[in-house]
Amino acid sequence: MTVERLEKTLGKNRVLRGISFQAAAGEIFGLLGPNGAGKTTTLRIICTLLAPDKGTVDVLGFDTRKAPEEVRRLIGVVTADIGVYPRLSARENIAYFAQLSRVPDRDLRRRVEGVIERLDIESFADQRAESLSSGQKQKVAIARAIVHDPQVLMFDEPTSNLDVLASREVREFMVESKARGKCVIFSTHVMHDAERLCDRITILHEGQVVASGATAEVRGGRRELEDAFLDLVGVK
Amino acid sequence: MDAAWIVYRKEIIEILRDRRTLMAIGLAALATPIVLSVISQISTRTATQTYTVGYTGDVPTGLDELMVATNLKLVAVTDPAAAAKQQVDIGVAFGAAEVDEYYDPSRQSAQIAATRLETVLGQYGAAQAAAALQSRGIDPGILSPVHLVAHPLSSPVKASSNAFLSFFLPYILITMILTGGFSAALDSTAGERERKTLESLLLTPAPRSRVLLGKIAAVTTISLVAAVAAIGSMFVALSQISLPGPSSSAHITLNPVAVPVMVWVALLIGVSFSSVTLALGTLAKTFRQGQAYVTPLYFITIFPASIILFIPDFNPGLAIYLVPILNAVLVLRDAIVHNAVEWSTLAVTSVSLLATGAISWFAALRLFTREGLLTRS
Repeated sequence: MTVERLEKTLGKNRVLRGISFQAAAGEIFGLLGPNGAGKTTTLRIICTLLAPDKGTVDVLGFDTRKAPEEVRRLIGVVTADIGVYPRLSARENIAYFAQLSRVPDRDLRRRVEGVIERLDIESFADQRAESLSSGQKQKVAIARAIVHDPQVLMFDEPTSNLDVLASREVREFMVESKARGKCVIFSTHVMHDAERLCDRITILHEGQVVASGATAEVRGGRRELEDAFLDLVGVK
Repeated sequence: MDAAWIVYRKEIIEILRDRRTLMAIGLAALATPIVLSVISQISTRTATQTYTVGYTGDVPTGLDELMVATNLKLVAVTDPAAAAKQQVDIGVAFGAAEVDEYYDPSRQSAQIAATRLETVLGQYGAAQAAAALQSRGIDPGILSPVHLVAHPLSSPVKASSNAFLSFFLPYILITMILTGGFSAALDSTAGERERKTLESLLLTPAPRSRVLLGKIAAVTTISLVAAVAAIGSMFVALSQISLPGPSSSAHITLNPVAVPVMVWVALLIGVSFSSVTLALGTLAKTFRQGQAYVTPLYFITIFPASIILFIPDFNPGLAIYLVPILNAVLVLRDAIVHNAVEWSTLAVTSVSLLATGAISWFAALRLFTREGLLTRS
């Protein structure tokens, strides 16, 4: 995935001021920054929910402006806001998104059951989503994001509403996806998580890239990534 | 599988599991029979009820029997005017050559009793005159030298039934199409935003126009189901209930022409309303806010149906048939009352409603595809 010189203004707020980075298959790429830095807007542009004012995004050879539907077919997104259809069961929720993501009818059952097994959803698969815990809902959200087997997975603050156990499961899933050769984009402001998981990171501040490179490189001689982050965003 | 069909199927499943929508449809089916039953009972009671007449003076011979026969009960009072305020329904002072009547026009019972008394007195006077003429060997027929023979061009019973239906049916049809789909439309737009499922839905490769089409089709289906439930239950109730007046001996039925016209108009209104409510729901951040946006629509649409109630003989020019909803009400009225519809009015109405549906669809699509759909949340 290649992001080049992205610019975006929402209302009177200039959210992005020329963001560029690249993320590759088989790595976890961290998009870090404080709240309001432009992380979510960047991800929304990548997944074609927003159009950039300037700049381009290329996902596996598809331009987000020219082929948005193709791009959406190649990516899966998990956000902090765990929205699932409350009156559908976990299984129905996953199947619905599989169908909308153009999983062929002949593969539908196999794919749905596959992700249910992989994410250990079986015990509550037929329960209505309204009765599920936050952790269970997050599993359903992950399942629906990956049921069409996307090449790019984007996680936008995926653990911010979860307890310790559920957060750990999400992190493990990200590592497992990387091992499967997926390109994993991880947006977070939790430096500890980023340091543990990310191969490379880009730090955003006020809509601009303030640092980019391998995690260890960006940390430099500092004890923790958080120290580097605070230096870069100008907090003493 | 087409994305519109996938969305349609999922929306229908969700709606059928939604208590709010099911209650709306259930109420639609129950409300009409209950209202009709109450109206029927009150009307029957009013027609057969005995009213009291407080009187002073001497009651003319034979009049008391006539009054009893027409459910007017004579009660002796000291002051008929004072008694007519509350104690009795009307007060009467019988004099030698005249009868003074006292009644309070603000009381419905007084109005009915007064009308009944006037009829009785008219019949009593005519009978007395006829008896006097007969006693002198004169044919009482001279009192009515010209006989009026009425030849109604259609059954008065049917006309009465049609007059009732021409107001009630469009009213129920429009109300139920709007309220039946109201909850479903808001749930699938503002509700999606509130539950935070909208972003996930828009992240799928499904074209937004197909997603919207599936939602509109689902809301239209539910609207029409609610309308069919309400109208079906209305006719079941009408087949069991006798309304007062000339139609009391017959059941109210719908003309053959009115049925296809009703189906066609309902379909067009259903699609238009679904698009409009979905567009308004898309503007709202929450279900509650959506309710605030859609509620005025209810009052706007009820107004045209009321025109038929207040101006039953409203026969406008063709241009008026361009006004959405009003045109549907007028075409339905024509079909119900005259058992016929002019092709020109039906064509103008169809074009108008199709254009309304198309504009509403376009507006909904514009709202559904703009960036603000997400950034508003």
